[in-house]
Amino acid sequence: MQSKSVYKIPNGKLLKISLIYNGKDNTIDQISIMGDFFAYPEEAIEYMENELKNTFLDKNCLLEKINSVIKENNIEFIGLDVEGLTQGILMCLK
Amino acid sequence: MKEIWRLLKTEDNAGAVNMAIDKAVIVSNSNKKVPPTVRFFTWKPPTISIGYFQSLEEEIDLNNCKEFGVDYVRRITGGGAVFHEEELTYSIIIPESHPQIPKNIMESYGRICGAVIKGLKNLGIESEYKPINDIITSGKKISGNAQTRKMKTVLQHGTVLTDVDVDKMFSLLKVPNEKIKDKLIADVKERVTSIKHVLGREIPFDDVAKAMKKGFEEEFNVELMEGTLTDEEIDLAKKFEKECFSARDWNHRR
Repeated sequence: MQSKSVYKIPNGKLLKISLIYNGKDNTIDQISIMGDFFAYPEEAIEYMENELKNTFLDKNCLLEKINSVIKENNIEFIGLDVEGLTQGILMCLK
Repeated sequence: MKEIWRLLKTEDNAGAVNMAIDKAVIVSNSNKKVPPTVRFFTWKPPTISIGYFQSLEEEIDLNNCKEFGVDYVRRITGGGAVFHEEELTYSIIIPESHPQIPKNIMESYGRICGAVIKGLKNLGIESEYKPINDIITSGKKISGNAQTRKMKTVLQHGTVLTDVDVDKMFSLLKVPNEKIKDKLIADVKERVTSIKHVLGREIPFDDVAKAMKKGFEEEFNVELMEGTLTDEEIDLAKKFEKECFSARDWNHRR
């Protein structure tokens, strides 16, 4: 299944998610994390998109996965945060 | 004695060329071949730049761009879509380890914006830094800024609006909800201003550049000496323009 969301991060920027997911398993097939936020290093967002494949579309699973990718790659978000990114992804399900 | 930095003025370049020059100077500064560099530049044709993470086709009306002769390019920095027409654009390229540059990214935005704020003051405009990446005067945005750090080097580029045509801008940018487009345009007109609007008269590019040069010199306590790109930077910029910034793969990657 395919879905999109637009979410204004509180005190941050506009996040746009484009998601293709497996509705049966409730897992991510493909995700694009877009918007006018900042992330350092920028290329890490593509790594994040790859790492999120097959992740369960569940708040705790997403928070855990995103946090681990951030820690592993020393990513710094500005105008975006882990909760906001998780929220944006889950909004695609509504 | 004051530290000497390089000042470049490169007017009227295409979007891909402007972005390629910034990247070439990052490489050259990172390899210690040139001093910290401040560049003032303009765009010809007018260009929309989009942030690294934005979707080109979601942000820009490509048909209208073609009709109005407006170019587009994806930046290596994050942030939003910007219509570059009536403005001075600056970039600063400096080692991350330079004592004048805070390690903390948000603090370094504030510091570099400080140079633009001093530049505006030299034109008689009081302004302030508004995190994350704006400079405002009387509550209205007059400058937007974006930073990246690559090869242990900081690049921050940003706009100083000399004039602004919000209606034209919105004919080129897509909005998430067409139904509220009119309201959005009215809001942006309320929230954005320019040197021309504030001072009530047009200021030539060279005068804005002079004021900004002084602003950077004051903020960083350095002397900016006008120079040119090195031959190596010119070659690198041509390579980046061709292989990256004018390539479909780069601009349409999201």
